[in-house]
Amino acid sequence: MQPAFPYRIKGQQLWLSADRCIYWEEERSLIVSDLHFGKTGHFRKAGIAVPQSVYREDLLRLLCQIQYFRPRQLLVVGDLFHSRENKELELFLKWREDFPHLGIELIEGNHDILHKDWYEKAAIRVNPGVLTLGPFSFVHDIEEAAASNTYYFSGHLHPGIRISGMGKQSLRFPCFYFGSEYAILPAFGRFTGTVSIDPAPQDHVFAILPPANGVPRVGAPRGRLPMGGVRTPARDMGERNRPVTRPRSAGWIGPGSIFRIQ
Amino acid sequence: MRLTIGYQTIAAWMEAEGRRPFAFQEEAWEHILAGRSGLVNAPTGCGKTFSVFLGALIDFINAHPEDYRTRSANGLQLLWISPLRALAKDIGRAMEEVIRGLGLRWQVGIRNGDTEVSERQKQKRRMPEVLIITPESLHLLLAQKGYPEVFRSLKIIAVDEWHELLGSKRGVQVELALARIARVKEAAVSIIGISATIGNLEQAKEVLLASLQGMAGAMGGAKDFIVRANIDKPIDVESILPDEIENYPWAGHLGLKLIHKVIPILEQSRTTLIFINTRGMSETWYQSLLNVAPDLAGALALHHGSIDMELRNWVEEALHEGKLKAVVCTASLDLGVDFRPVETVIQVGSPKGVARFLQRAGRSGHQPGQVSKIYFLPTHSLELMEAAALKSAMTEGLIESREPMLLCFDVLIQYLSTLAISDGFYPDALFPELRSTYCYSEMTEDEWLEILHFITEGGVALQQYDEYKKVEVMEDGLYKINSRRVAMRHRLHIGTIVSDAMLKVRFTTGGFVGMIEEYFISRLDPGDVFTLAGRNLEFVMIKDMTVLVRKSNAKKSRVPSWNGGRMPLSANLGMMLRRKLDEASAMVEGGSGSKDLELKVLQPLFELQAALSYMPRENQLLIEQIETKDGFHLFVYPFEGRLVHEAMAALLAYRISRTTPISFSFAMNDYGFELLSDQPIPVDDTNVFELFSPDDLTADIQRSVNSAEMARRKFRDIAVIGGLIFQGYPGEYAKARHLQSSAGLLFNVFSEYDPHNLLIRQAYNEVMDQQMEERRLRNMLERVSGGSIVLRWPAKLTPFCFPLKVDSMREDLSSEKLEDRVRRMQAQLR
Repeated sequence: MQPAFPYRIKGQQLWLSADRCIYWEEERSLIVSDLHFGKTGHFRKAGIAVPQSVYREDLLRLLCQIQYFRPRQLLVVGDLFHSRENKELELFLKWREDFPHLGIELIEGNHDILHKDWYEKAAIRVNPGVLTLGPFSFVHDIEEAAASNTYYFSGHLHPGIRISGMGKQSLRFPCFYFGSEYAILPAFGRFTGTVSIDPAPQDHVFAILPPANGVPRVGAPRGRLPMGGVRTPARDMGERNRPVTRPRSAGWIGPGSIFRIQ
Repeated sequence: MRLTIGYQTIAAWMEAEGRRPFAFQEEAWEHILAGRSGLVNAPTGCGKTFSVFLGALIDFINAHPEDYRTRSANGLQLLWISPLRALAKDIGRAMEEVIRGLGLRWQVGIRNGDTEVSERQKQKRRMPEVLIITPESLHLLLAQKGYPEVFRSLKIIAVDEWHELLGSKRGVQVELALARIARVKEAAVSIIGISATIGNLEQAKEVLLASLQGMAGAMGGAKDFIVRANIDKPIDVESILPDEIENYPWAGHLGLKLIHKVIPILEQSRTTLIFINTRGMSETWYQSLLNVAPDLAGALALHHGSIDMELRNWVEEALHEGKLKAVVCTASLDLGVDFRPVETVIQVGSPKGVARFLQRAGRSGHQPGQVSKIYFLPTHSLELMEAAALKSAMTEGLIESREPMLLCFDVLIQYLSTLAISDGFYPDALFPELRSTYCYSEMTEDEWLEILHFITEGGVALQQYDEYKKVEVMEDGLYKINSRRVAMRHRLHIGTIVSDAMLKVRFTTGGFVGMIEEYFISRLDPGDVFTLAGRNLEFVMIKDMTVLVRKSNAKKSRVPSWNGGRMPLSANLGMMLRRKLDEASAMVEGGSGSKDLELKVLQPLFELQAALSYMPRENQLLIEQIETKDGFHLFVYPFEGRLVHEAMAALLAYRISRTTPISFSFAMNDYGFELLSDQPIPVDDTNVFELFSPDDLTADIQRSVNSAEMARRKFRDIAVIGGLIFQGYPGEYAKARHLQSSAGLLFNVFSEYDPHNLLIRQAYNEVMDQQMEERRLRNMLERVSGGSIVLRWPAKLTPFCFPLKVDSMREDLSSEKLEDRVRRMQAQLR
C-alpha cells in the first residue's frame, strides 16, 4: 500500500489514499464512494461472466484501508451496492462482521435500492439526501445538493482526468476533484469506468496511478523508523505500535500513487 | 441433362423470355443434378442466381415429372444464404417470376431482421420451398426448438456472395450452420457457394465444404467443383484530373473541389453511381452536389447502411426503374443485383483494392456489348498514383485474396448458447462436428473444455458466493439453457455480430430517419445540428435508446463520422503503387517518361519531393526525419496499408525504446506512418537495418502490441459477440441499466483479474492476424532487408509526409516506464 497524500481544506486535515478513498483525521472517518458491491454478481447472474475476483479485491482493499487508518466510521457517499440483493452481498455481510465497532453511514445513491431491513441487518445507517458533519456535507450526486455554506463531498460521477503532453500524448486516470464548493471522489470499486472532468484553473485535482499488479501490497516496507519531515496521518494506533509505510521521497510517483495535477 | 424434362421445361421458358442459358449455368446445373457441392465463380449481373436456382428447379421437375406443377407444400428445398438483407427482396422477386412463368406452386420466403413476426409464424406452419436468409437469421432458426424438422426435405444450400462472407465472422456463422444442417439430415445436401473472383477461390471452396469432408455417404463420393463464368467485360478507367496539382496534398477537403467536373459526367449518362468510402463523406457529397446543381433535386439520391430500410428500398426501386440521375452511395451498393440503367460509375477516393474497384466498375454498362465506365476521382493529388496502379493491376489480373478466419471463440460461445436454447447439445458429439469446420479444425481439447467451462461456470468465481447462470448441464449430460430470461437475451443478441452501438433516429413527432453511432451522438449537445439521410436535423434528446430530432433549417451542420469500415490498402495495390513510384522516380531523374497520364500530371509534386527529400525506387524504403513545433517526426513510407503501418509503427517504437527511453504518438495512412516524439528520435544509418529487421518479429510485436493496446479495440466486437456486453432490450432500456458496461472497462477487468481468459487471448490473436497482418508485415520487413533504406532530414515538410501530418489519427503508445512519462508530462504542463 502506498502512503496517503496530505491535503488541508476548510481547516480540516485530509489524507488522500491511492486506493481511492479519503481519511478525515479530525472526525476519524474514512470517506469512500461508488463501491458498487455486488456488481460482478449481478452481471454473472445474468449470464455475463465477469471475473468475480474484482469484487474480492475491492473488499480486501477496503479492509487494508480500515486497518491502516483505523477509522471509527465509514462515510459512504452513495452507491455502496450496485443493484438488488445477491449472494455476493452475503460475502459482504460476513466481511462486515469483522468490524463490529466500525460505524457505516451510507448517503443513499441511485444504485442503493436494497430494502431497509437489509441495511439494518448489515448495521448500515442510511441517510437519504444530505448528511452534514462539522464543516462538511455529503451527498451522492452533487446536482442534488441544496445551496448552503458547507463544503460538499460527492461521488456518482466516477471522475477521471486526462493529462496530455507534447506530441498529442495523453493518459486518463481516476482522480480526486476539489472545487471551491464541493469535492468529487473517485469510484472505489474497480469494476467501474471513469468520466473525464474538465476542471477550472483554480480547482485542485489529484490523479491516481493504477497499482502495478492490481493487488494491494499490504505492509510492504516494514519496521523502519520514521524519517524526519515526512508526515503521516494521526491514527488510532490501538495497543500495538504499528509500522508506518513511508514515501520513498517527497512527491514520489509510481504505480499506485497519487500525484497532483493542478 | 438436356434430355431431361426439367431441363427442357426450363429451356423452353427461357426461350419464351428471349434468353438462353449461359455455358456456365448449364455446367452448374449438371453438377447440381449429380448432387455435387462446389463453387460457382461469377460476377454479379450475369445470371449467377439462375445458375443455382434453375438447377434446383430442374432437379425438382425431374424428380416429379408427372405432377411438378400441382405439388405444393413440398417443404424447404433450397436454402439461400445471403449476407445482405437488401438483396433478399430482389432475388426473391426474380425467383417468383420464374415460378409464376413455369406455373409451379413453390413459395419463396424471406427471413431476416426485417421479417414480421406474423410472416415468421406463417413460415413455421408451412415452410416455403425457397427460404432466403441472412447468417444471423439462420442462427436464430437454429435457436428454435425442433429445428432439424425444418431442414428435413432440404436439397440444396446456396451461399451467395461467399467472397464477402469469407474472412468475416458472419462467414464463420455460415460454416457452423452448414456443419449442423449437414448432420441433422439423413439425406445428402449439396452446398453451392457463389463467389466473385478472388485470389484464393480454391481455398474459398475448401472452407465452404470443409464440414462435408469425411461425412460417409453424404457426398455420395461425388467430387466437388468450381464453375467459372469467364464473362469478360471491357472496363474503361478514366481519372478526373484537377486543373492544378497541389504539391502539398491532404485528405482534408476530399476532392469536393472537383465537384464541378462531376456534373458534366452525370449529364452525359443515363444513371451514375458515385461511390464514396465513408458514410459521413457520402452525406457531404450529397449536399454539395445539390448545392452545385440544384436542378438535380429529385433525381439525386443517397444510399448508405445507416439510412432507413424503406428509404433504401425506395432508392433501389427507383434505380431499377431508371428514375434517378445519380445515387451517392457507399459499400452498401457494392453487392447485389444489378441496376440496368447505370451507365457510369464514379469512384471517389481510393477503392483500397483491385477486387473492389473491379466490382464497382462492373456495376455499369449492363447492356450486351457495352463497356463498363468508371471514373476515378482523387481526394488528394497523390491518390492519382492509385489510378495508374489500378489500371496496371487490372491488366495483370492481380485480384486480392480473402483470408478465412480461424478459431473465433466469441462466435463459438454465441453459437453454443444458440444450440443450448433450442434442443441442447452433447459436448462429445458436438466436438468432432465443430472440428470438421475450417474455422475450428485446429481447436484443441483443452480449448474446448475451457469454452465449456466458461459457458457453464463463468470462469473465475468465488464458489459459494457465485450465482453464475447461463448454460446448465442436465443429468444426462445435455447442455441446455433453461432460464427464459437468459434465452430471450441471447435471441436478441444473435443479430449483433455487426456491432457498433447504433441508435435509432426519430423525429419528435414520430417517423424514423435512420441509424447513427452512439459514439457520434454522445459528443453532441441538445440544439446541435447534424446531417443524416441528406437532412439537417436538430438534436433534441436521447430517450429509450432512440435519438429524438426535429427538422432544422440551419445552414451549418455537423456530418456524422462512422467509426467502422476503414479498409486498408490491399497488398496487391500497395505493390503496384511502389512500382508506379519507381516509374515516377525514373521520370524525375529524367531517364524515361511515363505512359501514365496520372504520373505525368504529378510530375511537379514528384520533383518537389525529390528536391526537398528523395524519390524512392522500388527496392528502397524512404525515411524522413523532420523537426516542427509539434516535436520530432519520423516518417516512413512502405505503401503497405494502414494496418501494417500501425503495427510497424508500434514495432519500431518498441525497438527504439529498448535502447532509449522515449515515448511516441503515431499516425498512419495507407502510404506510410509517422512517429512523433517530444525528443529527438535516435534512428540513423547505424541502427536502421536492425530496427527494420524481420528477426524476432513475433516476440517483439507481442511486446509492442501489449503497450499499444490494440487488443482493447478488438475486444469490443469480441465482447459483444461473446455475450459480455448486453445492448439492452428494445424499448426496455431502463430494465437493463444495471447491466450496462463498456468493452473498455471489461477489457481492463479481464486483463487484470482473468488475463488467460480465452476471449482476451482471442483479442490478441485477432490483433496479430488481422490488425497487424503479421504475414504481410513480415513480407514487408523481408523486402526491406533485401533492399536499401534511404534516410533524409528535410528542412521542412515534404509532399509525401504532408497528408500524414494532416490526416493524423493518433494512438497512445508508450513503452517508457509510466513514472517517467507522467513526470515529463507534468513538466510540460508547467
